[in-house]
Amino acid sequence: MPTLKIDGVEVTVPAGTNIIEAAKRVGIEVPHYCYHPGLSVVGQCRMCQVDVEKTPKLAIACNTPVAEGMVVSTNSPKVEKARRAVLEFYLLNHPLDCPICDRGGECPLQDYTMKYGPGESRSVEEKVHRVKHRVLGPHVVFDAERCILCTRCVRFCQEVPKTGELGVFSRGERSEISLFPGCDLNNAYSGNVIDLCPVGALTSREYRFQARPWDLVRHTESVCPLCSNGCNVTLDVRHRQQGEQLLRIRPRENQAVNRWWICDEGRFGSLNLADPGRLHQPTWRAGAAPATMEHADVLLRTARALRQVTEAFGPEAVGCIASSRLTNEELFLVVRFFREILGTPHVDFRVRPIQFPDADASEDGLLRRTDKTANSRGARDLGVVPGPGGQDVAGMLEAAAQGRLKALFVLEEDLVSAFPDRPVATALGRLDLLVVSSLFPSATTAAAHAVLPALGFAEKEGSFTNFQGRIQKLHPALTPPVASRSLAEALAEIGFDLGRDLGAVDPEQVWARIGERAGPYRGIAWKDIGPEGLVPEGQSGN
Amino acid sequence: MVFEKVLTAYQEIPNYRGGMDDYLAAGGYQALPKALKEMQPAALVDEVKKSGLRGRGGAGFPTGMKWGFIPKGSPRPTYLVCNSDESEPGTFKDRMLIEEDPHQLVEGIVISSYAIGCHQAFIYCRGEFVHGARVLQRAIGEAYARGYLGANILGSGFSLELTVHRGAGAYICGEETGLLESLEGKRGQPRPKPPFPAVSGLYRSPTVVNNVETLCNVPHIVTRGAAWFAGIGPAKSAGPRLFSVSGHVNRPGNYELPMSVTLRELILEHGGGIPGGRRLKAVIPGGSSAPVLTGQHLDISMDFESLAAAGSMGGSGGVVVMDETTCMVRVGEIVARFYHHESCGQCTQCREGTAWLHKTLRRIEHGQGRKEDLDLLLDMCDNMKGKTICVLSDAAAMPIESYLKYFREEFELHIRERACPFAGQDAP
Repeated sequence: MPTLKIDGVEVTVPAGTNIIEAAKRVGIEVPHYCYHPGLSVVGQCRMCQVDVEKTPKLAIACNTPVAEGMVVSTNSPKVEKARRAVLEFYLLNHPLDCPICDRGGECPLQDYTMKYGPGESRSVEEKVHRVKHRVLGPHVVFDAERCILCTRCVRFCQEVPKTGELGVFSRGERSEISLFPGCDLNNAYSGNVIDLCPVGALTSREYRFQARPWDLVRHTESVCPLCSNGCNVTLDVRHRQQGEQLLRIRPRENQAVNRWWICDEGRFGSLNLADPGRLHQPTWRAGAAPATMEHADVLLRTARALRQVTEAFGPEAVGCIASSRLTNEELFLVVRFFREILGTPHVDFRVRPIQFPDADASEDGLLRRTDKTANSRGARDLGVVPGPGGQDVAGMLEAAAQGRLKALFVLEEDLVSAFPDRPVATALGRLDLLVVSSLFPSATTAAAHAVLPALGFAEKEGSFTNFQGRIQKLHPALTPPVASRSLAEALAEIGFDLGRDLGAVDPEQVWARIGERAGPYRGIAWKDIGPEGLVPEGQSGN
Repeated sequence: MVFEKVLTAYQEIPNYRGGMDDYLAAGGYQALPKALKEMQPAALVDEVKKSGLRGRGGAGFPTGMKWGFIPKGSPRPTYLVCNSDESEPGTFKDRMLIEEDPHQLVEGIVISSYAIGCHQAFIYCRGEFVHGARVLQRAIGEAYARGYLGANILGSGFSLELTVHRGAGAYICGEETGLLESLEGKRGQPRPKPPFPAVSGLYRSPTVVNNVETLCNVPHIVTRGAAWFAGIGPAKSAGPRLFSVSGHVNRPGNYELPMSVTLRELILEHGGGIPGGRRLKAVIPGGSSAPVLTGQHLDISMDFESLAAAGSMGGSGGVVVMDETTCMVRVGEIVARFYHHESCGQCTQCREGTAWLHKTLRRIEHGQGRKEDLDLLLDMCDNMKGKTICVLSDAAAMPIESYLKYFREEFELHIRERACPFAGQDAP
């Protein structure tokens, strides 16, 4: 482990570390554009030049490994002049459209120019004009004038998804990033180039012109809910007159899970929480048409109907199919409510074959996994499976069809479309009580007696356990719609109406009860689960 | 001591066409059996080291030392790449060596490959050398037919395949790592160094890249010995050198001379002096990248050290002579336009700086200059030098600095008079 001095600060880092990373360890920023720790080093932007004692030329910090006794200056007069020059060269042809640029306000070119650059241009030459908006693919638009040719996007496509749609074309000052003929930037990870772009050259078709960076008042750490990988994300929210809006989902670095990346589904697929088509009102249907009513009224009617079923047919006439999209805390309460309080063994989460152990697999060797629910591992760990004599999902549907099962709770699953080959709707139609919680209306909610609008992943606190067994927290970025109530509260209220106490429903307190129980999560405190999650000792793999 | 031509000696034989029979009759392919059968590779490397041969492509790096950097016992193959991407403005000597006497180069490549343990060599030929590439291809075919290439050459047990690859028209592919990228089928842009090609070159394998002229010297060193070679010209710049003399001279052309020749001799005796009895104004001594020299430098000799001491460089041996009718701002504009056109564009200073230099010089030449432009040009040059992956940026900046150093009044005159004072006075 070589020890070196950077701006007078001593730092010891593993051999092979470059000067940028070594400086980062002691809080010194070496400005750079082309370097990214997740991509190959090309040393092209020349922004990270530093002064290394006993070497005549400035060294680029990205491509210079540390050495024992090295003395580095990141702010010598020589470095400052060289850095100012690089910025001046960049700005020769960079358009001054910062006021209408998505990057303005969070732009490294802007920031470093303010910090290290020349205040005024010495150039009187006409700027080079290029194409301002070229659609590169389903998610990305390119502004060639803003591009500083750092080639991060090119290298990303070559090295991460290995699709290589982008290249540098032409030469010298005429160089331009472009698509290879016949290509679209449509790989499953294309959105990452938007984050990688150090200027506003690559912008998001979904996000562009929606907000200025300073409108984004909250940046909430969370976990992507769209597959079992559990990529770490940051949720950017802006305030609007009519409420808050989740505008942008960005990857959050976690080397053990998603490195620096997320897939396009994760980036763009969860932005639908403000969708006007979302379920807005709890409904109760006694006859043919559902009636909108207060949450408490729907829950009271649900409790009454449930009591009738259990009194007439026993608890075994009740079943629950809970999605593995629910958080660990919600799933714990599901098990507690149905298995322990009601006493029915018919509880399951495995709607799809992919949710069984060992069925879930990587889709592409990168991040995306075949199990498109976030928490199958948590559901398994918490025992959301049939108890002794209990029915699985198929068994419950069969029992409903035969009239043996009288009441069924379907929590955030659309059973009708999950089993297109089975007469699910008919089976559901025979139930005395069908309770469905859901974000959106579906064929399953249409068959329900009680419909409870659910909360989206960005509206609740809790945790998911990813396929590796890593417990990761999500935090609420948005205030839930007025009519929505958390599943935990709904179950607690039904329990209350039945005269049973579900206990605390606050996720942290629920977790405390999970930690008291035997099982993989025993002994883990809520505060132990940090921003990069936690893998319980002895837990890994699928 | 009278200098006896080496590299171009055969070309002076009447009716010499450079085919296999001509080359053999002139005494060619005699070094090859000697090297393969009588010398160990290490001894060959030593011999070239002792000869003092330095690279003729531009940098003047000692050839034997370069060969010595090839790591011993690498699990990867070793490659020899002959750089014949001759593109430096004012330089046209490799082209002649290829077109007039290709077997000399082939023989040099086979011997050099043997010395460094290479079994697959490449000639990276400038895209515009269509004829040269054909000539080489024919010569290589003849060499295969005679057993000078291929498996078990001359029964020595040494095998070598030789492939000609034509570039696509980029100056930057003459930079050795840019050349290797291009040869690998990628965009021709230089690689950050280290690693150097000797360690990680073509296909990430140990690689030697040598210039055409450099390799052409090798058979002669083998035949006549290192001591003979070292005795030609100044001690540190040994051996013959081809100077491509162009511009305002009566007899432009390639002249093979020892590097002890002075600039005066080169221009007046060999180049036949300046047409019309006009006066010399400036000379570029080593290709367009070299800082300019003037009449005051006529008595320096054309070796690497003397030219460096005079603030210029030996470079590629392209000597461009300019007489008093030449506008140095116009020269600057033309040279800057070249680098603007040829910068690969990966490094910021070079991509943007070459363009800015060109636009500023064009503005001054066309009467739009401002007083502050001259210091601005010098500061641009300072910001471009020594800060990029390869030296194209330096090569663009250094000549402009030198034009301003020797001819600043001429630039000032353009700015004051808002016009080029040489307009309409171009030499015939």
